[in-house]
Amino acid sequence: MFISANIELTGSYDYGEVGRSVFIAIAASYAALDLAGHVTAASGRIRAAWLTGGATAMGLGIWTMHIKGMLAFHLPVPVEYHWPTFLASLLVAMLASEVALYVASRQKMGMVEALIGSVIMSAGIAGMHYMGMAAMRLPAIARFSLLLVTISVLFAFIFSLVALMMAFDLREETRWTVPRRLGSATVMGLAVSAMHYTGMAAATFIPASPPDLSNAVSISPFANNGIAIVTLVVIVAAMVTSSVDRGMSREVQRLNQNLEQRVAERTLQLEEVNQALRKEIVDRKRTEDELKKQKEVFQKIFEDIPVMIGFVGKDGHLELVNPEWQRTLGWTQEEIREPGLDIYAELFPDPEYRQVFFEVVAASTGEWTDLKVKVREGRVIDVAAAFVLLSDGSSIGIGKDITEWKRTQAALQETQENLARVTRVIGMGELVASIAHEINQPLTAVLMNGNFSMRQITSGMPNLEEVQKAIAEIVEDANRISAVISRVRGLLKKGVVDRVKLDLNEVIEEVSVLVRSEAARNLVTVRLELDTVLPRVVGDRVQLQQVLINLVMNGIDAMGAVADRTRTLDITSSPHGDGVLVRVQDSGSGIDPDHMERIFEAFFTTKPQGTGMGLSISRSIIESHGGRLWAEPGSPGAIFYFTLPANGMTV
Amino acid sequence: MKDAAPMVYVVDDDPSVRRAIKRLIESIGLQVELFCSAQEFMSGKSRPDVPSCLVVDIRLPGISGLDFQQELTKASIHIPIIFITAHGDVRMTVRAMKAGAVEFLTKPFRDQDLLDAIQLGLERDRARRQQEAEIAVLEERFKSLTQREREVITMVVAGNLNKQIAAEIGTTENTVKVHRSRAMDKMQAQSLADLVRMAERLQIPGRT
Repeated sequence: MFISANIELTGSYDYGEVGRSVFIAIAASYAALDLAGHVTAASGRIRAAWLTGGATAMGLGIWTMHIKGMLAFHLPVPVEYHWPTFLASLLVAMLASEVALYVASRQKMGMVEALIGSVIMSAGIAGMHYMGMAAMRLPAIARFSLLLVTISVLFAFIFSLVALMMAFDLREETRWTVPRRLGSATVMGLAVSAMHYTGMAAATFIPASPPDLSNAVSISPFANNGIAIVTLVVIVAAMVTSSVDRGMSREVQRLNQNLEQRVAERTLQLEEVNQALRKEIVDRKRTEDELKKQKEVFQKIFEDIPVMIGFVGKDGHLELVNPEWQRTLGWTQEEIREPGLDIYAELFPDPEYRQVFFEVVAASTGEWTDLKVKVREGRVIDVAAAFVLLSDGSSIGIGKDITEWKRTQAALQETQENLARVTRVIGMGELVASIAHEINQPLTAVLMNGNFSMRQITSGMPNLEEVQKAIAEIVEDANRISAVISRVRGLLKKGVVDRVKLDLNEVIEEVSVLVRSEAARNLVTVRLELDTVLPRVVGDRVQLQQVLINLVMNGIDAMGAVADRTRTLDITSSPHGDGVLVRVQDSGSGIDPDHMERIFEAFFTTKPQGTGMGLSISRSIIESHGGRLWAEPGSPGAIFYFTLPANGMTV
Repeated sequence: MKDAAPMVYVVDDDPSVRRAIKRLIESIGLQVELFCSAQEFMSGKSRPDVPSCLVVDIRLPGISGLDFQQELTKASIHIPIIFITAHGDVRMTVRAMKAGAVEFLTKPFRDQDLLDAIQLGLERDRARRQQEAEIAVLEERFKSLTQREREVITMVVAGNLNKQIAAEIGTTENTVKVHRSRAMDKMQAQSLADLVRMAERLQIPGRT
C-alpha cells in the first residue's frame, strides 16, 4: 500500500481500553503499596520472596497497563509486535519495580535514596514504555516530539518519587491504611497512565514500507484481555497472599499475644508456686535444722555432759543410762538390761533404803535429793539426784557425784568452826568482865552465908534453922558459879559440832544469864518474852548460844550512846512455820541503811574494836542449821531475826 | 519507938546476894528490908522512924546506884548509903564518896567490912537524927516566943546592947531587959553564949 511520507497516520483511542488500563495501573499501584509493608516486615529469604513477588505483580501490572494503553490506540494500519522486545520490556518493568520496592521497604529512606530510587524506577518505566513502542511493527515510522518525551520522562520521575514516598509512608498497618492506600494507589495509577499516554502522544506515525515482521505477532483482543486477566490475577493473588499473610500475621500476633499473656500468667503462677515451694523448702529446712539441733543438743547432753542420766520405764525398770552414768557407777548399758541382774539391789543394797529410792522415783518431783549409791567396785558415793516424770509415766533422772564436794564442804565447815571458835575467844575477852561479875555475885553470897554460918555455930546458941538455909544457899550459889564456868568453857573449847534436839528457850535463858551483868553494866534492861509451846529444834547448843550472845552484845553496844530513852533489849521466841523464830530487838542507834546489807559481810565492822566476824559467823551458823538470819530497822534501834527449822538441817 | 532496932535497906538485883545480906544483918539484930531496884525503894511504903542505912548495888537495872544516890539527895532523904559492887572502878568510887557515901565495897567483900560499914552508917544516921531532933526542940521553943521577944533576941545575938535595942524598937531599956530575960527562959538558954549557939543552929540572923 502507498502512503505519502508527509501524511501522518491518525490514530484513535478505544476509551474502554484506556479505562481498563488505568484500572490495572491503580490495581498494580495498590499491590505495590501493599506489598512494600510486607517486604519491610520480613527478612532473609521471605523478604526476597516478597520482594520478587511484589516486583512481579507490580512490574506486570505496569507493563500490562502499557500493553492495554498501546492496544487502546488504534492506527489505521495493522500493528504487530516484536515479542522478544516486548518481553524484555516486561523484565525492565519488573526490575524497576523491584528497585522501587527495595528502596521503599528499607527501614530508613533518606532524600538521596528516594531520589536515586526514583531515577532508577522512572528510567525503568520510561525504558519499558519506549521499549514497548519499539516493539511495534507497523507500516509506519514513529516520530517523537522531544518536548512530550521529556515531559513523559519527567512524569515518570515524579510518579516514581511520589510512589516511593507514599509506599514508604504507608508501610505500617494503621487504621486508615486501606483508604489511604486506595487514594495513593489511585493517584499513582493515574500518574502511571498519564506518563504512558503522554509518551504515546509524543509519537506520531508516518506511513512507511511494511516492517520486518520476523518475530512479530499480532495481539488479538482475546490475547489482550488474556494478558490483562492474567495480570489482574497475579495482582489479586499477590494481594490475597498479602492479605492472608497480614491476617495470618495478625492471627499469629494475636496468638502470640495470647500465648505471651498465658505464658506470663503461667510464669506468674509458676513463680508463686516456686516461691511457696522455696518457702516450704526453707521452712522444712529450718524445721529439719531445729530437729537436728534438738537431737544434737539432746545427744550432746546425754553423751558428753558430765551428768548421770537414766530413763526409768513406767514399769520401773532402768532402761537407758548415759555414758557418765556407766562411768560413775561401773555398770554398762548392756549389763543393766540383763534379766538376771537387779540393778537397784546392786546400787542400793539396803532394802529399806531402796524403798526410799523407789518412792523418790515414783514421786519424781524434780527436787534435788541426796542419795547414797554403791558403785560396782563397792565404794558408796554421795549422789545429788533429781527425777522428773515424762508424759507416758516413765521418769528421767539426772545425778551428780557429790562425794568430793561433800568432803570439801566438811573441810570448809571445820574451818568455819575453827574460825567461829576464834571469834568466840575474841568475843570472850569482851565478856570477861561480865563473867567476873557473874561469878562474883554468887561468890559474895557464898562468903556471906559461910561467915554467917560460922558465926552462928561459934556463937554458942546457933539458929540452926537459919544456918541450914544458909548452907543450902551456899550449895546453890556454888552450883551457879560452876554452871557459869562450864558455859564459858563450853564457849571456848574446840568442840565437835554436837547437834541435839533442844529447847531454844533454854538457850535464850542461859545466854541472858551470861550477858545479864554486861547488860546491867550498860544500864540495859533485858526482857525475855518466850513462847512456852515452842517446837524443839535440832542444833548445836554452843553455836546457837554464840549467835545469841553476839546479837545481844551487838544490841548492848548499839545502845551505848542512848541517853534519851530507856535502854531495852527484847528477846522473843515464837513458833514460825514448823520451826522457831527468834527476835532480838534493841532500842539503840539502829543500823545505817547503807550498812544494812554489809553487816553480814566478813570483816565488816562499825565498832572500833570489832573484828567484823560476829554477824558473818552467826549467819553461817544459822544457815548451817537450815535457818535464816537477817536484820530489819526497828523504831528505834534494830531488830535481828533468825529462824530455825524444827527438824531440819540441810547439808 | 526508941527501942526499935535500926533498919537496913538493901537494894540489889541479885536475889541470892540479897538473901545472904539479909541473913547476915539480921544476925546482928538489925531490921532488914530488901528491894530489887531503886524504883521499888522510892515507891515503897513509909519508912519507920529509926536510924537507918542503905546498902545499894551500883549496877542496878533501870536507875543505877549512883543516880539513885542523887535522887535521894534531891528528895531530901538523907539515909547514909553503902555501895557494893561486883565491878567497881576508881571513878565510880570517887563519885560515890564525894556524894557522901559511907563506904564502897567490892564484891566479894568480907562480911565484917559490910557490918562495920553498916554500923558506921547507922551511927551517922543516929547523929544526924540527934541533931535534927535537937533542932526540932529549939524550933519549938523559938516558936513559943512573942514577936517582940524574937526581935529582941535576934538583935541581942547580933551583938547589940540593950540601950541600942531600946532605941531601935522605940522602948525603954528596962522593957528590953524584960523581953530578953523572958526569951532566955523560954529558950532555956543558960547564958548569952548558949543563946548565940542556939541561934546559930536555928540560923536565926537570917530570919525575922
